[in-house]
Amino acid sequence: MSNIHSSSTPLNRRFTRIAIANRGEVAVRIIKACEEMGIETVLLHSDVDINSRAYRMATKTMCIGGAPTAESYLNIEANIQGALASGAQAIHPGFGFLSENADFAEACEKAGLVFIGPSARSIRELGDKMNCKSLAQKAGLPLIPGYQGDLQDVDHLVKQCEIIGLPVIVKAAAGGGGRGMKLINSLEEAKELIESAQREAASAFGSPKVFLEKYLGRAKHVEFQIFGDSTGQVLHFFDRECSVQRRHQKIIEEAISPSISEEMRKQMGEAAIAIAELGHYKGAGTVEFLVQDGKFYLLEVNTRLQVEHPVTEMVLGVDLVKAQILTAQNQYVHDPKVIRIPKGHSIECRVYAENPYLGGVPSTGKLGHVHWPEGPGRRFEYGFEEGDTITAYYDPMIAKVIVWDESRSRAIEKMIRVLKDSVVFGVHTNIPYLIEILSHPEFINGTMTTRFIETHFAEPLKTKEVTSEILSLKEQALKQLRRQDSTMTVSTMGATANPFSSYWRGM
Amino acid sequence: MKLKIRDGQMDKTVEAQILNGQLWLKHKDDTFVFDLNEGGSQRRKKSAGKKDSEIVAPMPGKITKIFVQADQEVKKSQALIVMEAMKMEYTLKSDLDTKVQSLKCKVGDQVSLGQLLIEFYKENK
Repeated sequence: MSNIHSSSTPLNRRFTRIAIANRGEVAVRIIKACEEMGIETVLLHSDVDINSRAYRMATKTMCIGGAPTAESYLNIEANIQGALASGAQAIHPGFGFLSENADFAEACEKAGLVFIGPSARSIRELGDKMNCKSLAQKAGLPLIPGYQGDLQDVDHLVKQCEIIGLPVIVKAAAGGGGRGMKLINSLEEAKELIESAQREAASAFGSPKVFLEKYLGRAKHVEFQIFGDSTGQVLHFFDRECSVQRRHQKIIEEAISPSISEEMRKQMGEAAIAIAELGHYKGAGTVEFLVQDGKFYLLEVNTRLQVEHPVTEMVLGVDLVKAQILTAQNQYVHDPKVIRIPKGHSIECRVYAENPYLGGVPSTGKLGHVHWPEGPGRRFEYGFEEGDTITAYYDPMIAKVIVWDESRSRAIEKMIRVLKDSVVFGVHTNIPYLIEILSHPEFINGTMTTRFIETHFAEPLKTKEVTSEILSLKEQALKQLRRQDSTMTVSTMGATANPFSSYWRGM
Repeated sequence: MKLKIRDGQMDKTVEAQILNGQLWLKHKDDTFVFDLNEGGSQRRKKSAGKKDSEIVAPMPGKITKIFVQADQEVKKSQALIVMEAMKMEYTLKSDLDTKVQSLKCKVGDQVSLGQLLIEFYKENK
């Protein structure tokens, strides 16, 4: 409560139209929050993204450029012009793309648009990992040893790896989501990996700047959801654990973490709030930590909504996207009478379009039949439906499956059942892989570290055996489908009001 | 779509759909994919990223870096090509000690799944 600013609180405002500078499931999530608040939406999309759920759901759509992200989703000018032309008062950047780009936040402000997120200054102070670390150092927060200098010459960086001591991890300064991040185990491969990280960083975030950090080999990833209200007061909305990562990309997240004591939770929560307050944080953000041997280290601050925000929403009963919009309208203020206590346990699985039997190579193409088994305590966040195309231009995440139950073990059981009952045809998904991970004793015990996947799931999954039962089902299914196909062609030509005919759209 | 299939005395339920010459079938907990145009001319085995005599693209994407040139000898697990797809980089490495015969792609190329990228000399060394 110490940080109520002397300046008077700006007046409340109400948006009537919000532009969305994003795509996929997060665009759908934002549209849903806007719909609930009676706000119109404008989807700013690339020319290949017209076959998507967000495109169909948005009040208005505006094509702002070609498929490559530099022309569309990372193009600041195109997004601003699109938002202005559509008559929106604010822009929600979602996550990824321009969401952590201070220049974009600034450009929005200059153009008279409200950027739904923290100020450009906060993004610069906390979002840039190097600045964030020096800020944290001043605040006396525990940091991982590493190199955060401005000198980006590759040979110099290789030398720094030697000084820090291998293994070392190289990361994009402006990044997140595992892109531009590589683990260096030997000096021979250091140069190649650093260059690769710089290219990925430049392509994904528009800046090739990287930094180095000592790699903690037995660490758990625990993060705190923070939220700064419109008066500047920051609270935390408890923690999530995201230790299940592959190539530094999270796969399974849960709230709250099964790995930290109440005492540690209190300390980490206070540290998270401290760093957010130093950065004058407003809106939703996340402070990430690594936890090893009973100690925690600040990893980074993500100045945006997280992919895994639904697990926090499930255990606390909050709506973070709505709270973001309310904050941008200067309406959201933490109420001291509201005491938040996490209830039960929530797990999220990211469904990626990839082939688990081929080591996870991306799988692209047109989606066939898709079925998500709805039920109590289940939530499905997805951006694509039957007939939509999964392209190679963007992130492979096609959906998120979220469950809630009274205990962690029940939530795990429920998640396995839900995944087994889900149907995705047309592209391969990591669903069989997710089921294997959720069934692993280390995951069930909650003792997994960030190296869990590389230790236990380095090899591609073995292909499921095709039994004689399956072969006979296949033959008969084929017969039935071909028979129906021929009758269907006749009946749809007559444009009958067959309730099932809509089923065949996109085939 | 959901189908009922008579198997002996019992009706079994499957989800099935034909898409792009493949039958997608889900029965109980598992999903299977069958190629329908088997026989005839042998289709390129798209799944395999590598064969002894060539490297094909294991996924659609963009070539961002090529480390080798024609007539260069390469060692097992040496990096050959870097591809980018879905914003992630993938490094294609050699499976064995061999020699490059010709490059079938260049930096910046958008390649499709199964496209030939590098040809090796048939005999090693």
